Amino acid sequence: MKTIPPICPEPKVGPKYWRSLDQLADTPEFNEWVEREFPSGASEFNDPVSRRHFVKIMSASFLLGGLGLAGCRRPEEHILPFSKMPEGYVHGVAQYYATARPTRGSAVPLLVKSHDGRPTKIEGNPNHPSSNGGTDAFTQASILNLYDPDRAMRFTKSGSEKSSADAFDALADISKKFQATGGEGLSFLLEQSSSPSRERLQKVISEKFPKVRWFIYEPVDLNVERQASAIAFGQPVAAEYRLENAKRILSLDCDFLGAEENAFRSIRGFAKGRKLETPNDEMNRLYVVEGIFSITGMNADHRLRIRPTQIPALAARLASEILKGSNLTGLSDLAGSFKGDEKWISETAKDLLAHGKNSVVLAGHRQPLAVHLLAHALNDALGSAGNSVVYHSISQANQGSIKELTTALNANEVDTLIVVGGNQTYTAPADLDWSSAVAKAKAIVRLGYYEDESSVGATWHLPAAHFLESWGDARTADGTFVSIQPLIEPLFNGVTELEVLARIGGLNTTRPLDIIRETFQTISPTNFEEGWKKFLHDGYLEKSAAQPVAAKINFGAISQELSRAKSPAAASELDIVFHRDYSVDDGRYNNNGWLQEMPDPITKVVWENVIMVSPATAKSLDLRVLKNRKPDDLKNNDRGVVAGNDIVEVELNGRKVQGAVWVQPGLADNTVALALGYGRTKTGRVGTGAGYNAYLLRTSDSPWFASGAKIRKTGEMRRVVSTQEHGSMEGRPIIREGNLEQFKAKPDFARNMDLEAHTPNAGPIYKHPYNSSPELKSKVHQWGMSIDMNSCVACNACVVACQSENNIPIVGKDQVERGREMHWMRIDRYYAGDVSDPQVANQPMLCQHCESAPCETVCPVNATVHDEEGINVMAYNRCVGTRYCSNNCAWKVRRFNFFDFNKRPNNFADTSKGAFGKLYQGPLAKKEPLEYDMIKMLKNPDVTVRMRGVMEKCSFCIQRIEGAKISQKVKAGASGDVAVPEGTFTTACAQVCPAEAIVFGNLLDENSRVSKLKKQERDYAVLGFLDTKPRLTYLARIRNPNPLMPDHKEYPASFEEYEKSNGESGEPKHEMNGAAHGEKGAI
Amino acid sequence: MSEVTTVKVQAPPPELARQPLVLNNHSFAWISDKISGLVEGKTQKWWWPAFIISASVMLMMFSCIAYLISTGVGVWGLNQPVGWAWDITNFVFWIGIGHAGTLISAILFLLRQKWRTSINRAAEAMTLFAVVCAGIFPVIHTGRIWFALYPGFLIPFPNSNSIWPQFRSPLLWDVFAVSTYGTVSLLFWYVGLVPDLATLRDRAITKGRKFFYGLFALGWTGSNRHWSNYEKAYLILAGVSTPLVLSVHSIVSFDFAVSQVPGWHTTIFPPYFVAGAIFSGFGMVLTLLVPLRTLCKLEDVITVRHVELMCKVILATGSIVGYAYAMEFFIAWYGGNPYEKYAFMNRAFGPYWWAYWTMISCNVISPHLFWFKWCRTRMWFVFLVSIVVNIGMWFERFVIIVTSLHRDYLPSSWSYFKPSWVDICTFIGSFGLFCTLFLLFMRFLPMIAIAEVKGVTAQADPHHPAGGAKGEHH
Repeated sequence: MKTIPPICPEPKVGPKYWRSLDQLADTPEFNEWVEREFPSGASEFNDPVSRRHFVKIMSASFLLGGLGLAGCRRPEEHILPFSKMPEGYVHGVAQYYATARPTRGSAVPLLVKSHDGRPTKIEGNPNHPSSNGGTDAFTQASILNLYDPDRAMRFTKSGSEKSSADAFDALADISKKFQATGGEGLSFLLEQSSSPSRERLQKVISEKFPKVRWFIYEPVDLNVERQASAIAFGQPVAAEYRLENAKRILSLDCDFLGAEENAFRSIRGFAKGRKLETPNDEMNRLYVVEGIFSITGMNADHRLRIRPTQIPALAARLASEILKGSNLTGLSDLAGSFKGDEKWISETAKDLLAHGKNSVVLAGHRQPLAVHLLAHALNDALGSAGNSVVYHSISQANQGSIKELTTALNANEVDTLIVVGGNQTYTAPADLDWSSAVAKAKAIVRLGYYEDESSVGATWHLPAAHFLESWGDARTADGTFVSIQPLIEPLFNGVTELEVLARIGGLNTTRPLDIIRETFQTISPTNFEEGWKKFLHDGYLEKSAAQPVAAKINFGAISQELSRAKSPAAASELDIVFHRDYSVDDGRYNNNGWLQEMPDPITKVVWENVIMVSPATAKSLDLRVLKNRKPDDLKNNDRGVVAGNDIVEVELNGRKVQGAVWVQPGLADNTVALALGYGRTKTGRVGTGAGYNAYLLRTSDSPWFASGAKIRKTGEMRRVVSTQEHGSMEGRPIIREGNLEQFKAKPDFARNMDLEAHTPNAGPIYKHPYNSSPELKSKVHQWGMSIDMNSCVACNACVVACQSENNIPIVGKDQVERGREMHWMRIDRYYAGDVSDPQVANQPMLCQHCESAPCETVCPVNATVHDEEGINVMAYNRCVGTRYCSNNCAWKVRRFNFFDFNKRPNNFADTSKGAFGKLYQGPLAKKEPLEYDMIKMLKNPDVTVRMRGVMEKCSFCIQRIEGAKISQKVKAGASGDVAVPEGTFTTACAQVCPAEAIVFGNLLDENSRVSKLKKQERDYAVLGFLDTKPRLTYLARIRNPNPLMPDHKEYPASFEEYEKSNGESGEPKHEMNGAAHGEKGAI
Repeated sequence: MSEVTTVKVQAPPPELARQPLVLNNHSFAWISDKISGLVEGKTQKWWWPAFIISASVMLMMFSCIAYLISTGVGVWGLNQPVGWAWDITNFVFWIGIGHAGTLISAILFLLRQKWRTSINRAAEAMTLFAVVCAGIFPVIHTGRIWFALYPGFLIPFPNSNSIWPQFRSPLLWDVFAVSTYGTVSLLFWYVGLVPDLATLRDRAITKGRKFFYGLFALGWTGSNRHWSNYEKAYLILAGVSTPLVLSVHSIVSFDFAVSQVPGWHTTIFPPYFVAGAIFSGFGMVLTLLVPLRTLCKLEDVITVRHVELMCKVILATGSIVGYAYAMEFFIAWYGGNPYEKYAFMNRAFGPYWWAYWTMISCNVISPHLFWFKWCRTRMWFVFLVSIVVNIGMWFERFVIIVTSLHRDYLPSSWSYFKPSWVDICTFIGSFGLFCTLFLLFMRFLPMIAIAEVKGVTAQADPHHPAGGAKGEHH
């Protein structure tokens, strides 16, 4: 369960004490007495010798203090801790503060852990009305950006360093200059934001400078949704999907579980519809139509692989089935151009219609306006509005696009350009020739988090503050007003967007805190001070969520747009799809090592982007993925067997990029997928050398797809590094899947797979110590975990959360290539079925905490042992690093420190130096002090930082367990009730999971969620036949295909593979359960 | 002594006559001169270049080890899931080689195989040096060698934390097995050396030699009492060593057999490993002695018959190894465990097929050439096959360790192992260490047991027509 914050402390007014009547009267005599007598050294200031001494001592101590107290920077403003402190601050006890991470047009409500004034871990805010405490990988990793040694650290004017005061003077000068002209020639280029304060400031500035112009640019622009709803409903509304109410979901290229905004919310809603307590529970069904393989596609019950340019036609075709009788003109023309599986469409339409308001259609941000309009029309026809989708009104400011700004720049209409955030020189559409256009502005003031591509040529460059260093506000997807409060004073004096706007606007209040207080006052004027404190404490304003509005669809406007929709490209043409990257977003996380090393959920590629094509397209273009390997062979591609992948050049309208080919099963044929965000020319030590730049091909007219690409082989080959190179399960029952019907017919099908069902066994080869000495085991706690693979969508949040919680180092591309990644938790991805259009199954894999652990008996030094609560623990101090435990672990979840990853610098994305890289120089190479110190501040002080030569692995977050036990013991006092109650704490992976697929708890508590889940019939242990009795068990995945669909199969592909390799028919013959024969479990 | 009585004994019929163990009816004096001459005489021309090369290669290994320890195990090619590769392969390879020496000196001694005398000293020395080479790898393969060697971690030692090593771990059994084996082998070798050290002491012409050989000869006079004690000690040590020959490699095989990795977890391992060890050990003895008998002109002492006998041992143990390979496959199929089945199919036809088939051709096919006398009696041929056997046995360990680990239970972790230059140089360097030690041994100590060889000549047999006391005293 999630960390539940205690209630907000009531303000206390205690008695005031006075020393004397004089003080009470505040007489001048008393004040003089204090002046003279109290500061004992004050008079010595007149003595030159002792003053010198004093200054010497003080400067020395300031120096020491400055070095040693780098982690103790507290914001000077009064911020409110989340927890109630009994007697002020307790050293070493972490505090939680509620804040939020602003995203484009939305925010993620957070609860951030702070150790001694250093933020160390980000969690979701479980009290927020639309959050269960889950977050996403970006949010988890964003804390690493705070301590990024490459972030902008100075104020510069034309490249030379200046003080912040100089910079603020320059902003004041700009303000003064444009006051005279009413803002003529002053333009702002901003990023998308949901901040009410920014909106207010923009309004104030616009009033003050009527001629000022505002532009917004987001490389991953989600504005199409707003545009579509404005057209469809004739008013600016935002659609909020309530997937928990949806029984049938159709995604039109909408990766709502991955690349769309607020995926963590959608995952939560989607997962709710997939929880099965009993075989008779109802389950949602997901239809996905897409060209590239997305996270949503991996979770689909029916996935239609289709070129993305075909999707408008498909949507029209579907609409013509559902909107029979409506008078949408242009629909039949567009529908007529659809070429594909008619039955797939008609059966989907029938299924959606049958579920009426419980079905919902989503359109992805890559799709053109027409698809979004059709989705609105379909939802309207199905009656979903008010149930699985609600609309609430939003304010629509009149802001220009980057294209309009370029025109203005080229017409010399922009005198001073204020660029806040973004990295336009890198991300701007290639056809705009942004860098030469922007050079036409006379002065550019840029607020940037990095000194990157866009910093070049800026007159003034100001370092931006991280959101954990800033005051701010935002609105989450449901419209709830959330606060952003700093946990640490800006490390490098970074400033916020609000401050820059306020200073340029020449406003009286320039402190961001005051700005948001003013905004808060306008939103919640009653009982201001108390409300403000509660707002900061809770992190959100109660009941501020947007109210649903009744929106009436305007078919006329839709018809008009439909007629403008393009018909699909010719079949022979090669389409390009640009997509937001799961690791680096649009490039903003390019210098984030955790995200760079986080395997892509589908390809498992790290540290770069690849040029993805389908197996058939690769074959037709004669692209080799690996020497001697057929492109459609998913098996023999282990690391190092082969030379590498072809490096190809993709050409589109004369623009070219080069990258390594990746053959992706399930991709639409004749489609090339290019991920954005890599190939940066000016970035930090982490991102340099990672991937190619797909922006070079992207134009403002078609930012997401383009037809008519050409691929040319360069003749070179290179290895593409991925963490999982064997994609097939080989018929092994590792991930056990069944269809819903199969599950209903035989609820315990998962337990009747694998050897345990067939062979009576003689008990484990490694005996459990509790069985011989039962007195060793705890009668209070026995920990266990359950992972529901039916709700896990493989979003990777747990992988990064674990990395953040447990001080797991990154190892760099070269080391991942050598198979030495350190993740304690990984997500295994297996393909099954037809290689061109496979089914995918995912499985979070971490230490299984076996009761009869094979690793423990083989360790010669007792470094890995069982504790009394059933956890397989590592004593790092004991470990000599024989790696025998890892060899004997059937799940291969142990990780070995091959180098001193924490002390050595790294090549990161660069593999060219290979065995001569910095890691290989041993003690001769040390991390640069700045990098070492900054990364050090990030570490969780409750977890040991491991040195080289030590084996490590998941500990079920033992630090959290012990923390909870200590608190409970303190609370229990003499009562002796030391059992930690359910819901007090959980592991990092379980806490972050928006799907609540990972559940951790006490198995001795019959009522704990984990105990109940383990009693379900879907529960099984991976490799259970080894009889090691893992404490981590899985709930089998259930697919919910529609029997009427043309691609329906009776069993999931992986189940068929299992049956085939085990040579049996669908019905398991043996009813025996292996566990019944072996040694009895310890609990 | 004036009168010498000779006893006439009928010579055995020619078809029963065995080839003598020392050819050309050499006298005791010749044997002493010949073997001591190798130590006392001028350094042979080939020795210095051989020594310099070996010592340089050995230094290369020590540099690699220094690099490894200072930088981390990552300088090797190991990865996840292949946590052991060349390190443990080399360990098992060298410890296996060590087996021939003790087998020759102990088991053949107890079985009264007199032909052992010409080769046992060199074979025992080889054993010791192989154990030295073997001992290095498990120590340096640990991530934190400074703790591995610290008392209380791997070495049992009472400590304030009351933590003992984990006695259930086969790695700890290895520590005891290998150290016991090394100690007993050293004692056995040294006890056998004592009479010969005394011979060298007595023949010494420089003070230094007299002192050093005298020091280690422990005051040996050759008295009846000395001989009587010596024989008893030798017999006891042979008795102690015999089970060790079988136990050490059995225990080494437990490193694998006790685990649950498919391809490791098999009960056939102990006998199969012991047979393999003897197989590789005899291979190494031949690799060393076949060229040496020519270089040192010892053809009369290490005769073709000796070589042939060793070839026959190779043939026998090689056949056992081949049988074990076949049996592993049979059990993998018969056992019905799909993971096991996959592991063996993957060995033969997976990414490491080349290693598997190298092993099969070297270990299963090549020894069967020794059915032919022609093959057993051509020294260049025997030498070649002995090298092939060693290559094959290295690959056997590589195949067992790496191919089992690289693809085990969950296909998501499957990977491939490639050695780094440090892996390769450390392994080659271990041959440098081995050769350096062996070259020093043959330069400073009698390579053949002088006293024992004399004992098996015809002259030493009073019942032999050529035997009896012929008036020469030595």
